[in-house]
This record gives sequence, C-alpha cells and structure tokens, in this order.
Amino acid sequence: MDAFLTSRPVADILGGLTNGVIYSLVALSLVLIWRSTRILNFAQGAMAMLAAYVGFAILAPTTNYWISMGVAVVAGIVLGGLTERTIVRALYGKPEINPVVAMVGFLLVLESVAAAIWSTVSRSLPTPFSIVDWQLRGRPVAMSPFALYEVVTAVVVMVVIAVVFQFTRVGLQLRAAALNPEVSRLLGVRVHRMLTVGWMLASGVGAITAVLVASNYFTGLTPTTMDGVFAFGFIAAAIGGLDSPVGALVSGVALGIAFQFVGDYLNSNAIILVALGLLIVSLMVRPNGVFTRRAQRRV
Amino acid sequence: MIGVSGLSVSYGAVQALRDVSFSAAPGKITTVLGANGAGKTTLLRTISGLVRPRAGEVTLEGDRITGTHAEDIVRRGVGHVPEGRGVIAEFTVEENLRLGSLIVRRSRAERQAAFERLYGQFPVLGERRRQSAGTLSGGERQMLAMARALVAEPRVLLLDEPSLGLAPLVTAELMSTISQLCATTGLTVILVEQNAKSALRIADQAVVLYIGRVVADDRAEVVAADERLRQYYLGLVE
Amino acid sequence: MRQRVLVSSVVGVALVIAALDATFGVPTTRLRVALALLGALGVAALGGLSVARTRRDHPLVTRVLVTVVVVVIALVATARLSSNVDTDVAIGAAMTIVLLGLSFLTGSSGQISLGNGAFMGVGAFTVAIWANHHATSPLILVLVLAVAAGAAVGFLLGLPATRLRGPYLAGMTLAFAVAFGAVLNVFGSWTGGDSGLQLPNAENAPRWLVHLYPASTASLSVNSVWLAALSVVSAGVALLLMANLFASRFGRAMRLVRDNDVAAELVGISLPRARVVAFVVSAAYAALGGALWTVVNNAVTPSTYGLALSITILSLVVIGGIGTIPGAIIGGLIYAFANSLIGWITTHTGLNPQGNVASQLNGIIFGVLLVATIVFAPMGISGALRRLWAHRSR
Ligand SMILES: Nc1ncnc2c1ncn2[C@@H]1O[C@H](COP(=O)(O)OP(=O)(O)OP(=O)(O)O)[C@@H](O)[C@H]1O
Ligand SMILES: [Mg+2]
Repeated sequence: MDAFLTSRPVADILGGLTNGVIYSLVALSLVLIWRSTRILNFAQGAMAMLAAYVGFAILAPTTNYWISMGVAVVAGIVLGGLTERTIVRALYGKPEINPVVAMVGFLLVLESVAAAIWSTVSRSLPTPFSIVDWQLRGRPVAMSPFALYEVVTAVVVMVVIAVVFQFTRVGLQLRAAALNPEVSRLLGVRVHRMLTVGWMLASGVGAITAVLVASNYFTGLTPTTMDGVFAFGFIAAAIGGLDSPVGALVSGVALGIAFQFVGDYLNSNAIILVALGLLIVSLMVRPNGVFTRRAQRRV
Repeated sequence: MIGVSGLSVSYGAVQALRDVSFSAAPGKITTVLGANGAGKTTLLRTISGLVRPRAGEVTLEGDRITGTHAEDIVRRGVGHVPEGRGVIAEFTVEENLRLGSLIVRRSRAERQAAFERLYGQFPVLGERRRQSAGTLSGGERQMLAMARALVAEPRVLLLDEPSLGLAPLVTAELMSTISQLCATTGLTVILVEQNAKSALRIADQAVVLYIGRVVADDRAEVVAADERLRQYYLGLVE
Repeated sequence: MRQRVLVSSVVGVALVIAALDATFGVPTTRLRVALALLGALGVAALGGLSVARTRRDHPLVTRVLVTVVVVVIALVATARLSSNVDTDVAIGAAMTIVLLGLSFLTGSSGQISLGNGAFMGVGAFTVAIWANHHATSPLILVLVLAVAAGAAVGFLLGLPATRLRGPYLAGMTLAFAVAFGAVLNVFGSWTGGDSGLQLPNAENAPRWLVHLYPASTASLSVNSVWLAALSVVSAGVALLLMANLFASRFGRAMRLVRDNDVAAELVGISLPRARVVAFVVSAAYAALGGALWTVVNNAVTPSTYGLALSITILSLVVIGGIGTIPGAIIGGLIYAFANSLIGWITTHTGLNPQGNVASQLNGIIFGVLLVATIVFAPMGISGALRRLWAHRSR
C-alpha cells in the first residue's frame, strides 16, 4: 500500500490534481463570464495577477497571509466590476471580435502597468502551510500540506459558486439574466447589475487562483505569471464547453493529470504541445461539445 | 387602471404605433385586437417599459410610468406575460415561479404558501414542480407563464396572445380562468388576442388596432356586433 | 483617383513636416525631408489603394503605378536617412507585411489571430536555420523557403480554424503563440534554445549600390540602406499582391464570407476553403516579415516571438484600421517610429530611461490605444480618415 502511494503514477496523479484544480478555476472564471456576456475574457489572467499584486505587494510582506488573500480577493472583485462597467459595457452588441480585441488590449495594459509598478522581477509569496511533501516510510508522497490546501481551496470555491448559483436569490437572477435577459427584466431582474455581479464573481475566483499560482516556489509572482495558466485554463474550458461549468471543472482536472504524465514520461516542453494538439483535436472532433451556440446563431 | 394617451412608437423607419389612446379599468378585461403586425405586441412592450415611445405616455393609476425601466414598472404591479410565453426552459417549474416572486418581500413560508395556492389553481404545475419547464406542453407552459406573473400579485396583467397554439377546449378553460381572476381580485387585464371571437366573449372593453392606429374602442358587445369591424379588421366572417 | 493621390501626398507632406517640427524639432533638413516623404508614402497609399480595394473596374495598371510610386518614394527617402532610421524603416516595412496578412484575415473572414507573432517566428527561424546549414544560398530562395514554411504551419492551424468562430479561434491561436516557445525548445539543437541563432554571414549591400555612394561612406551605413531597401521592396511586392487579392473575385467573395456566412454559402463559396486560404495567406505574410527581421538583425532570438509580439501586431492592425490595406500601412509606420517616439517621450518627461516605467511605456501606450480604438473608433485611423475624406468631398 505504501509503495503504491509513493509510486510514480500515483505521484503524477496527485501532482496533476494540484495543477488541474488551478486550470479548473481559471476555466470556471471564463465560463462564468462567457455564459452571462458571451465574451471570452482574455484579460482574465492579467486581472487576477493584478489582484494578487494588490494583496501581496502593496501590503507589507509581513502582513498575515489571510489578510493579504482577503485584500487580493476584494481587489479582484472591484477590478472585475469596474472592467465590466467601463470597457465591457461599451461593447455589448458589437461584432464578436471587438470585445476579444479589447480584452487583449486590456491584458497588455494590465501586464505593463504591473511591470511598471512592481518590475518584472519575480517575488515569492508567503505560504500558510509547508510546501514540503509528506513522507511515508521515508519516501515522499507527491502531496504537501500546501498542495492539499490548494486542492481544498479550489473545491471550496467551486462548491460556494455552485451553491450561490443554485440556491440563492442572486444566483437565480444571474442564471435567468444569462438565459433570457428580456424575460428576466419583465420579472424585475436588474440584468445590467447581474452582468456586473457575474464579472465580479469571476474576478474574485481569479484572484484566489492567481494567489495560489504565485505561491508556487518556482514561478513566484510576476506580471506574466498567469499567461501560461490562462492558456491551459482556456484549453480546459474550450474542451469542456464554454457553456458548461461542470465540463470546465472536469476537463481542468483531467488535463492537469494528463499533462503531469506527459511531463514526467516525455518532456516538460511537450506539455503545451500536447495541450494544443488536444485542443485542436477536440475542436475538430467534438465541435458540438464546444460550440453549442452555433446552431442557434442568427442568420 | 392603465391609461395610454397619444402613444407613438417607431422602430427606425417603421412606425408601429401612431397616436394610440385608450384606458383599461380595474376589475375589467380590455382586449386589444388586430391583424398580424398591427402593433399589439409593441403596445404591451411599451406599457411594460421594454420599448421607449417617441411620443405620448402611459399612466398607472394616474402616475406617469413612461420612461421608467421595465424592472421598476413590474415592481409597481404591472405583470407582463410576453408573446411566446417566455418561460425559462432550463429552469424547473418552481424556479420559474421563484423568479416570478423575486420582487415581493416574503418569508420562505409565505412564499411556499403562495406557490401552493397556485399549484391548487393549476394542478399540473404542482405535479411537475421539479421538472424543467422545457419538458412542459404548450398549454402547460402557458399556465406556468400566467402563474409566474400572478405569483407577484400584480395589479395589472398584460397578456400577449395566451391562446397561441392551444386547443379550443384549453383556450376556453384559460379564458374562464382569466375572467374569474379578474372578477375576484379586481385585476386590470389587457388581453391581446388573434382569436377575436373568444377574447370578445370574455372582454368588457375592446380596442381594435389597424396598422398602428386605434380604429375602434368600445364595449366588447358593441365591437362584436359591428359588421364592418368584424369583416375588415377582425376577419370574423361567418 | 490620380488627383486624390496627388492631393493626399501634398497634404501628407505638409502635415508631417508641421507635426514633426512642432513635436521633435527635427535637427537636419535632410532628416526632415526624408520623414516628410515617408509620411507622404503612407498618405498616398491611403488615398490610392483604398480606391483600388473597392473598385473592381480599377485597372491593374493603376495599382502597379501606385505601388511603384510608393516604393520609389520610400527608397529615395531611405537613401538619405541616417542608418538608425534606416533600420527603423526596414523593421517597419517588414512589419507592414505582417500587418497586411492579419488585415487580410480579418478583412476577409472577420476573424482575428493571436498567433501571427509566432508565424513571424516560423519565418525568422527558417531563415536562420537554413542559413546556418547552407551559408551561400541566394536571399530570394531563403525568403521563399520562409514563406513556404509559414504557409505550411498556417495550413495546419487553419484546418481547425475552418470550424471555429471568433473567440475560439482567438483562443486557439493564443495557445499556439504560447506553445511556440516550447516548440523551439524541443528542437533546441536546431534553434539554439534560449539564446537563438546568429547568421553566419551578414547580408551586405551589392557592389553597384556601394559604388553609388562616395568612397568615404561607411560600409555599415550603405548596408543599412540596402537592408531598408530590401524590406521596402518586399513590402511593395506584398502590398501589390494584397491589393490585387483584395480586389479580385476571391477577395470579394471573402468579404461576403465575413459579412454573411449563410449568403456566401448560398452563392456557392466553400466556407472552409475560404477560411483556410485566409489563414494561410496571413501566416505566409507573417513568415515573410519575420524572415526579413532575421536578415535585418542578422540574428534571431526566441523571446522576440512571444505572445507580446502577437498582441502588438493585433494592436497595430486595429489602431491603423482593421481589415484594410491603408490600415496596415499606417500600422507599419507607427511601428517603425514607435521606439523613437517612446524614447522622445521618455526624455521629455524626465523618466529614468532604464526605469520600470520607461521600459513598460510601449506596452501601456499600445494597450491603452488598442482598448480606446476598439471602444471609440473601431475602424481605426484609416476608418476615421476615410470618414473625414467622405465628409469633405460631399
Ligand atoms: N424590433 C423591431 N424592429 C423593427 N420593426 C419591428 C420590431 N418589432 C416589431 N416591428 C414592426 O412593428 C410592427 C408591429 O409589430 P408588433 O409585433 O407590435 O405586431 P403585432 O400586432 O403584435 O403582430 P402579431 O399579431 O403578428 O404578433 C410590425 O410591422 C413589425 O414588423
Ligand atoms: Mg404580437
């Protein structure tokens, strides 16, 4: 049993799970925004990165981790709301590439501003739990207290989001506004406000994700910390279906584990290639799972 | 009590309503009739605030509501069952009702009691409360749409072609439900219908639109008896 | 039409001289004249080619003439510039080619790509790798190889593009841009890994050009004139081909695809084929631009061809005017002089040129301009100019 738990495949699965939940969270943020506003938020990762800087670079480095995390989340929420109210709102009803371009531009602004203020030098974030793997009879298990904390946090975030959407008044309105804005208005739902709330929620999730990502000892927090993670999160969301939160979560974890095996048995450079290949193949083979909206497009 | 005066609405170059005036009294059913494209849907959408008129105004119990957002007009007691029913297919029956009762402050128990009353009135909905609304039949969806509007206890109910696609028997049932509601609660009903015959049977007042203009506004019996109206505008030729 | 070109050239010269004098206080008359001519180039192309694009009865001769005039003006201008400016012109002209490609993709199919920086990289590395194995190949062969490599990669990525729409395609090309660095690393023994490759021989000016200059002229500056001329002529050829493509039956068909898929299918256009072709053309153009960069810089580094470059390309196209030929030219001019402009801003605002802010100014300005353009003037500078023009001639 112990030998099994410390074996290479199990280590890959555990390591993959830790990365995978991160991709799931990114994908979840993308899906939240896509479902309500039909916009693929290319600035998602950069917004999250900025929020992490606010929590961990503006406050003194000695600040309690949880306070910093809280500040980052609040910053993310505020940034999400502001973005929707200013840039995004001007682009509803425009050709679908306009918001894509705008968010790409916003990504560039955010990354440059962060680099201008905090430089591109990586800074390491404090961690609330040990990052040293647990040992079983002197052999490491591929899971540390911090990694477990990452997984648990991700699960908690997902459960909270699910509960909010499924069981609360605001969740009901968020879903209704996304499904049928006009009928929702007739029933008293403030649709515009709901779109803002959707962006705020997604960016809050993003902020938590960025803090978890940047706590990684090897990357740390840099203005481009989230670029690669965003690409993987997008791939997870696209494979799972941009309309499907559950699809996003499942494919995020599945990709995380698959990549870990690829990196371990092949080459870590091959991961992104495999990811790109998977994306292309899945888009070619299962277009229905991915562009469910196509059939409903107006002529 | 709804008052409409001098209402004009355009969609770009298309003028959908021209100088429309009439009023709808509480406890009465006012039916709005007219051919396809006459402007009936536009009229209801303007009353509930989805469309901004170019000129004229709508009053609710004497207060001007033109220019108020749709989200606020419904809070002032104007329920609108839109054309094509607008139930949210992905929601369960009960979620649709919860959406309808958003704007009323109620405790959970009061809300559940209100739902139960409606389930009493529309038993099919009670049986299917956990099913998604997309699985309901056309008639059942119509009932759900009505129930969803009623759960907010409106003072005014705007109904856009509720009989669309329903069997004659079901239509008759629906019409009697509407007139009962109206009589017992003092609700103001504005009923838009293609099916002039059954609408005129239960209505107190009838307004006939023709290419965006009011061509008749009189008691329902009078309109029903007017050969000229029946023939040219309502297509009721025996 | 000819009047329009003439008038716009004159207006362009005047505007550019005035603007440059007012802002930079340009030191030498030579530089002033040269810059003015460059401005005229942009505006003339704007006036001439925007007509050629839309009027199919417009004779090929005119398009050729306009292009030749534009290229000659640019050549004369570069022959008189300092070698720093020559390099800017060379880099900018190569960028114009890339922008033309992306403009074609967007203008004809309504799609955007975040992978054109990586397609440039494909061309850039093709040149470097080839040159390291076959030191004496003629330049034209190397460029053709680079274009072919770009087209091949574009075809591979274009296949899924046939089934994808806006945001998905953008996402997929973004993944490609991110993946490109990893690809280079996987083939590190060929690509030189993180440090990239040097070319074994620099591209030198041919003898006849050297003879045109006084013997005292440093060979370095003659070489930079040659490189600028090379880029400008390549851009001219690319421009001419593109103007023809836009005006051809195929180009018109593609615009139909952009405006209405369903209508296009009804009149018998194969959508998948049209999309793949647009993608391949845009990738091939990008590869040519990248190949020229390698020739001009005499080296290639992988970090140049990251996501940031792709985003810069997109911003230039959008700011210049998305989906139009004049827009691509304006974008190329902006790129050519962006560094000088940013340097000027840095010195005049007293920023520390080595500081964080100065080094990020580029990104901040392009990002803000990109967002502002798409929100306030989605058709970019060329769209705004065209509207002005239409207004005046009414
Ligand atoms: N959004 C819109 N944009 C442009 N024109 C519209 C729009 N909505 C309605 N119209 C036009 O306004 C006129 C009135 O339309 P309206 O939907 O109010 O008619 P209606 O009486 O409800 O018809 P029906 O009985 O077929 O439902 C029609 O000519 C219609 O084409
Ligand atoms: Mg109607």
